[in-house]
Amino acid sequence: MEKISHDIIIVGAGIAGLRAAIAAADFSSKIGIAVVSKVYPVRSHSVCAQGGTAAVLRDGDSYDLHSWDTVKGSDFLADQNVVEFFVKQCPEEIIALEHWGCPWSRTEDGKINQRRFGGHSFPRACFAADMTGFHEMHILDAKARTYGNITFYDEWFVTSIQTVDNLAVGLTAFQMKTGKMCAMRSKAIVMATGGHERIYEFTTFSHTATGDGMTMAYRAGAPLKDMEFVQFHPTGLVPPGVLITEGARGEGGHLVNSKGERFMEKYAPEKMELAPRDIIARAEMTEISEDRGLKGQYGPYIALDLRHLGEDKINERLPLIRDVAIKLGGVDPVEEPIPIRPAAHYSMGGISANIHSETSIAGLFAAGECSCMSLHGANRLGTNSTAECLVFGAVSGREAAKYALANSFPELSKERALTEEKRIFDGILASNGDERVASLRNEMRQIMNGKAWIFRDGHHLQTALKEIRALRKKFENIAVEDKDKQYNTGLIGALQLDFTLDLAEITVASALARTESRGAHYRFDYPKRDDKEWLKHTLAYYSKDGPRLEYTPVTITRWPPTERTY
Amino acid sequence: MIQEKGKLVELKIQRFDPKKNKHYVSVYKVPISKGMTLLEAFIYIKDNYDETLTFRSSCRMGICGSCAVMVNGKPMLACYTQVLHLNTDSAKIEPLQNMPLIKDLVVDIQPFLDTYKRIDSILTRTQETLDKPSEFTQLPADLRKFWDLSLCIKCSICYSACPAAIDERFLGPSAYATNYRFICDSREQRNNQRMSPMIDNVWLCTSCDSCTKFCPKEVDSSTSIVEERGLIVETGDVPKTVKDVLESVFKYHNPMATNPNKRMDWANDLSIKTFPAVKEAEVLLFVGCAPALDVRSQSIARSLVSVLNSVGVDFATLGNEEWCSGDHIRRLGEQGLFEMLAEHNISMFDKFHFQKILTLCPHCFNTLRNDRPYRDKEFTVQHYTQLLAELAKSGSLKSSRPFNKRVTYHDPCFLGKRNEVYDDPRQVLRSIDGLDFVEMNRHHENSFCCGGGAGRTWTEEAPPKKRPSVERVNEALSLGIEVIASACPFCITTLEDAVKVLDAEGEIEIRDILEILCCTL
Repeated sequence: MEKISHDIIIVGAGIAGLRAAIAAADFSSKIGIAVVSKVYPVRSHSVCAQGGTAAVLRDGDSYDLHSWDTVKGSDFLADQNVVEFFVKQCPEEIIALEHWGCPWSRTEDGKINQRRFGGHSFPRACFAADMTGFHEMHILDAKARTYGNITFYDEWFVTSIQTVDNLAVGLTAFQMKTGKMCAMRSKAIVMATGGHERIYEFTTFSHTATGDGMTMAYRAGAPLKDMEFVQFHPTGLVPPGVLITEGARGEGGHLVNSKGERFMEKYAPEKMELAPRDIIARAEMTEISEDRGLKGQYGPYIALDLRHLGEDKINERLPLIRDVAIKLGGVDPVEEPIPIRPAAHYSMGGISANIHSETSIAGLFAAGECSCMSLHGANRLGTNSTAECLVFGAVSGREAAKYALANSFPELSKERALTEEKRIFDGILASNGDERVASLRNEMRQIMNGKAWIFRDGHHLQTALKEIRALRKKFENIAVEDKDKQYNTGLIGALQLDFTLDLAEITVASALARTESRGAHYRFDYPKRDDKEWLKHTLAYYSKDGPRLEYTPVTITRWPPTERTY
Repeated sequence: MIQEKGKLVELKIQRFDPKKNKHYVSVYKVPISKGMTLLEAFIYIKDNYDETLTFRSSCRMGICGSCAVMVNGKPMLACYTQVLHLNTDSAKIEPLQNMPLIKDLVVDIQPFLDTYKRIDSILTRTQETLDKPSEFTQLPADLRKFWDLSLCIKCSICYSACPAAIDERFLGPSAYATNYRFICDSREQRNNQRMSPMIDNVWLCTSCDSCTKFCPKEVDSSTSIVEERGLIVETGDVPKTVKDVLESVFKYHNPMATNPNKRMDWANDLSIKTFPAVKEAEVLLFVGCAPALDVRSQSIARSLVSVLNSVGVDFATLGNEEWCSGDHIRRLGEQGLFEMLAEHNISMFDKFHFQKILTLCPHCFNTLRNDRPYRDKEFTVQHYTQLLAELAKSGSLKSSRPFNKRVTYHDPCFLGKRNEVYDDPRQVLRSIDGLDFVEMNRHHENSFCCGGGAGRTWTEEAPPKKRPSVERVNEALSLGIEVIASACPFCITTLEDAVKVLDAEGEIEIRDILEILCCTL
């Protein structure tokens, strides 16, 4: 088996991973950096980010205000030291992208333009029309490729993080084109593999964003934090679920029920359509469950009306949305409202990491959506995620570089890698059972949609947990039809299902345990926030019998919890 | 999210098994409901019929660029294509071209991505300005100058469709577009450095327009390349072959360096009405430089004259006052020279009374019709195949001898892709007795350029294997075709050269439609 060594290996090449690579390369030209991704970097899910990236740039806005908006948005579950650090780093990330060539939308006098976004009390979303993540990604990818000490492993699938005595020593991965397994030794690893909302049926997520890195870290012994907090985006296009940016409402779009009412005045009279996402998603589900949704071929939906913005503004500010609505929803938003429904969109939880991106495993760092620094708490504000990927991508790259310079290469034993090769190619690839991977995957996604959605209760969560565990049993009896090693997407589907089944279980188990309602986690049976019992983070640790839950306090610096209204 | 099962559509998917090195086709019937995309159909097959079917996908909203495939010969994003919009009960699905196959619909796009290594895909600025932690200023109007070019998703469709990209010296359409995107960015400071990666290879583009036509994001790579050539022409640092063409056109008003007084020599024995002796005719025949001056192409012009005479069309030419229309010149980047030619030709058109202009050459046809300043005059311009189709339809063209050969039609890009004249030439061919008409694999808008456009016919320096014309003739040979018919003097010349290069003169011949028609009348 081939052995590859790099000082730093970054897994995932979305905004966080690429930003980490650039930061590490800027930190030192002497360290060798590998970026390993199961897709070509510009295929990463980050290109789907649309509406903007938050940063305090103008008079009238302030770090305190951005912090407060974020903390309030988080329903007070954010760690406030992390929030305060984060908001101060955002502006320089915007400027860095500007310097590299990001085509930011502009004000009339040529400055970077900023639009309004939900839960933000100042227009601080820097945007490139409605393709912000796409443009950030292409500039980051191009920038990363200017460094001589960054090596890309495109279309390599990572299967495990290898540790010895809680020290990360490397990874196992195979090249998809050849199916050749490699042991990848490193001093430092940065996980930047994104979220796990593919566990749901109706989601804004790319097919490839399956949360692999979260599971790998979990299995290696790092806890996953706050996994019960899943964000449901209020405007997933019906039928496919793809994202219709919150920027559509930032530009003035209305949400309308079957009676033609802008129903948000009942739920958030002040912020209306620009209330945080958890509140709007619940409002929409309430309207639908009380029979005020519109009726369509693909079930009840809510109307997102942009018509009053006019064709020119829609073309200038929301060109992708118009195109997507026409091509995938069959409606032109200039002429008709867009049919939408809440869609699973973002994981507030992830690999538990501190303000330096360090996880509980020495040499293992995490950044972006796969991580949980507790920046977003129980509910993330729009535009804080691309900002997080940039800020903590950079932090993780620098910290990994420091770590790599201060440490020597650990040993990654050949036996470990051979064991993993056996597990994948003699085990999963060779499996010849009765269960179809696609059926199990679809079942999992239906269970999560049906029983661990926006409104939850103990009974349904309990059932979901049982059903997900039954699927895990069935997984032992799968068949992989394609037996070739080369570019085997059937095998990859099985591996991804393996990862997501763990994540579904952790999400449900964490949700079941949290007997309160906070941010995106809403329990019918516990409809109130309970600061006395639950002002704490969930930590899910791997055990053979399923996740073992522990709790850790929230860091509060300046803003004690208050009632959260908009 | 497919809820109701709709009509059954047959997908014939080209497969490749890398282990056995085996190519084969799998046919699946997929229930298609309204709104279902081609990607969803692939997933349906993989989930329900055949787990081994291999394709790429990710975002399913047309922004990540993973899932481009060929559908009935045309490249497109599977996730951004609704099956019912294909308006067919059966579709042929193939992998993209021009890149090594990995498995089924998955190709190795590394050669495409490697083209970007030769350009800077970020701003290049002085260190001084980068050290300042502040934003640059860019007015919205300046942003608009490059915004459309910044939308490339690197799906590699343009690279797959590009005839010039079979030569790896060529950067690839989207890389030129990206380079030009930065040239147009008001924040860019080192534009002069952006010329060198292009200087010896940008001339390989034939302006066939496939890149722009098939781009799912409407990035106009084709025009970017013309603009970049313009910048290089301004610097004067152009290859000798290009310089020679431009100088010849400047001096002699034709690219063949022929004395302009000889422009009507081809018709010396034909007694054609000619300006200034004649100042009025129903049809003004714009002969074009190649049919007028190139020995091989003169027979095309003479054939047209005999057809026009046989049906009694009232026509005349500008004689020696006809200058090069400038199509190739404009696309070689010499806008100033093009305008000089256009102004002269327009001034002559103004002195002549006619109802329509008839062209022999699709390049003249295109530029007289679509390029300013000609376009502003709104002339009625017709390519000869359009006129012949009208005559065929009305029964005025009667072939008296059959043409018993297996014939295909090669679409000239400037007639087909750029002006959507596809059916008229075919109609003329089909009207000829005995002619066995077959299509090549790539035809109509999916046609593969001969490699002669945008001046490349005179500047060709690629080794035979890298010439589009050679690939095209090979395609015809593989189908047992005896005659490739076309309707463009440049297609005829480049394809004929390819026949010679392939030493296939005994197997296949290249004929203009007019030449075939003439030997049947």
